[in-house]
Amino acid sequence: MANLSLWVLLFPLLGFIILGLSGRFIQRSAVLAVACGACGLAFLCAVINFFSMLGTPVSGRVSDQVVFNWLTSGTGNGPSLTIGFGQYLDPLSMTMLLVVTGVGLLIHIYSAGYMEEDPGFWRFFAYLNFFIFAMVLLVSADNFLFLLVGWALVGLASFLLIGFWYQRRSAVAAARKAFVINVIGDFGLMLAIFLIFVNFQSLNFSDVLKNPISINTGTITAICLLLFVACAAKSAQLPLYMWLPDAMEGPTPVSALIHAATMVTAGVYLVARTHVLFDLAPVALNIVAAIGGATALFAASIALFQLDIKRVLAYSTISQLGYMFMAEGVQGYSAGIFHLVTHAFFKALLFLGAGAVIHALDGEQDMRKMGGLWSRMRITAWTFLIATLAISGIPPLAGFWSKDDILGTLLAQATKTGNPGLYVLWGIGLLTAGLTAFYMFRLFFAIFSGRYRAQPIAVEQEDEDEEAVAGHHHAGGVYYYYIREVPPVMSIPLIILAALSVIGGFLGSLSLIGLAKWAPLPNFLNAVSFQGAPILEASTAIMWMSTGLSVLVALLGFAVAWVLYRKGFSYKENRSPLYRLILNKYYVDEALSFVLIKPIQGLGRVVGNSFLEGGVLDGGSRGIARLFRGVSKGIRKVQTGYTRNYALGILLGVVLIVVYYAVRG
Amino acid sequence: MASVPLSAYLIMSAILFTIGATGVLIRRNPLIIFMSIELMLNAVNLSFVALSHFLDSADGQMFVFIVLTVAAAEVVVGLALIVSIFRSRRNIDVDEMNILRG
Repeated sequence: MANLSLWVLLFPLLGFIILGLSGRFIQRSAVLAVACGACGLAFLCAVINFFSMLGTPVSGRVSDQVVFNWLTSGTGNGPSLTIGFGQYLDPLSMTMLLVVTGVGLLIHIYSAGYMEEDPGFWRFFAYLNFFIFAMVLLVSADNFLFLLVGWALVGLASFLLIGFWYQRRSAVAAARKAFVINVIGDFGLMLAIFLIFVNFQSLNFSDVLKNPISINTGTITAICLLLFVACAAKSAQLPLYMWLPDAMEGPTPVSALIHAATMVTAGVYLVARTHVLFDLAPVALNIVAAIGGATALFAASIALFQLDIKRVLAYSTISQLGYMFMAEGVQGYSAGIFHLVTHAFFKALLFLGAGAVIHALDGEQDMRKMGGLWSRMRITAWTFLIATLAISGIPPLAGFWSKDDILGTLLAQATKTGNPGLYVLWGIGLLTAGLTAFYMFRLFFAIFSGRYRAQPIAVEQEDEDEEAVAGHHHAGGVYYYYIREVPPVMSIPLIILAALSVIGGFLGSLSLIGLAKWAPLPNFLNAVSFQGAPILEASTAIMWMSTGLSVLVALLGFAVAWVLYRKGFSYKENRSPLYRLILNKYYVDEALSFVLIKPIQGLGRVVGNSFLEGGVLDGGSRGIARLFRGVSKGIRKVQTGYTRNYALGILLGVVLIVVYYAVRG
Repeated sequence: MASVPLSAYLIMSAILFTIGATGVLIRRNPLIIFMSIELMLNAVNLSFVALSHFLDSADGQMFVFIVLTVAAAEVVVGLALIVSIFRSRRNIDVDEMNILRG
């Protein structure tokens, strides 16, 4: 089997380098050609490679191509470390490559329209290409060290793109927050890598994941938990999720690409990649499942009452990632990856649709100032509706199949082991499905149905505040008759993603309707990547029960939203404490600020003003400086600059030496 | 023929050396200072040669050649410096050249 992943890696890197060096000087069309060309070629390589993999017998579908040995140390006795820069290609990384480059390509094209008037056009595309490069590095690395490199680089790309409109204070703060929280995860991953090296004497996937049984369970559990710290930070799981909602400060295509479809799923990928270790650590698996479940419910509940359309989608993303971790926590790895793929389709579509709305409304993100767009933006509305149906789990769209795969897996595992915790998780999954349907239709109705609610101030009013400079302004609403459907360069990616959201579900298993043989994606993954993991086959009766209930719950959520918001969203001040609590995201940011940030700032202020800082530390260092200055002031008098003085000095020195030896004998 | 004793040579050498050293220390004209340095070097040469003769060894005389060579080289460099300083300042008083004072 050919392994083209090096090319998939190199094209975006090349694009980034070209744009980074010359983007400032070249035409916008040239910027677009380079950026989309790089991403398109990467996608093309991935597709060719995919077909080459399909044409290879199952036994030959793993390829570990070492390009060069990057680091060799300790070749003598004792542990040695050899790290090669190589690409590990198996069905799992193949799936990720296709999703990353494919969805990435669509979002590149979409961005051409969305960012058209932005002064940072070339910078944006350079960053996007850099992100694709980093993400491909992450998913195609053949050892943990380069995985870490990719892991950190996608964090950097995310930082750069969240802070893309760096004139906005809030964007810079959000970028910093994302970076700091991600570094916590990087640190966890680093510790995990140290532990792996100490115990396995190697960092290559092929060595570590081949035969870890000889290592004791405690160590493996520790490794898995540290890996999961990294996953929780990158995939915004409790308690490290706070950065993702704030990351919505970035341009909307970025939210779609990085903070919905690809980067945030890196944690799901990592758990799947190292599932051999997780399989041996039931405690870690339980924690993964529990955190996934808790996050799914928690984030879905916050999404219920958010008013910013992108924040609703952000919390929804966190919640859906929770689903994926739930599946992986019960060893349903292929179910998790399946949901990752379908989620990439419909969540990217939702974000791009939201971006189209924001674009048409000239930067408005508040759902209180929307409404009635159905008749103005038909393509956006239809595709958004498809995505909403898909994420709500309405058959036969993509989300229905993948979500039911997860719920069915949970229930199957629960009935098999009789573990009451798993029944609870399954219940949480069902409840979250209902909440998801409710908040998604609330969002849909708020944007598209009812009457247009913005109060346009005169459009002529030029508003030269800092946000206008950033190419993104809130001038106070757009006249309804000015609202136009987005141009084709933006709507075509929407249509493609909508098509994928409709048919994406058929990649999964259709055993529910009797077609037991049909399961392309699970078979593709299970045969090679998830070989050791148990296949969770639920009986058809159980699956029907789970499916029936989840569809019922989703319809219930839809019905509630229909009753409340069908005629358009109307915001009423609600004073009930529970509502305030959820609207303010459980006050987590405030609590964190109170518990962590304020005390540390206070401590810093106290210490900064204390005698220790001013008198001892500052005084001490300044005193030393003063001492040296004073002494040298005296001593430098000796350097008179008169040659004859020096000569006298030399002579006296010589005389002294001679006298010394003469006297000593 | 009564040979001159070694001590006479050494005393002569010491006297010449002292005259040279004094000249270096008290004169301000670099040309005179150079001449004084030559005097000091030749005082040393004198003691080398005398000792070489009295100890019946050629080592001392070899050193004399080295000293002569070094002295010649030193004069070349020194005179070049003096010329170039004179060109830029029209003055070669060593006490005026004290820019590098502390």
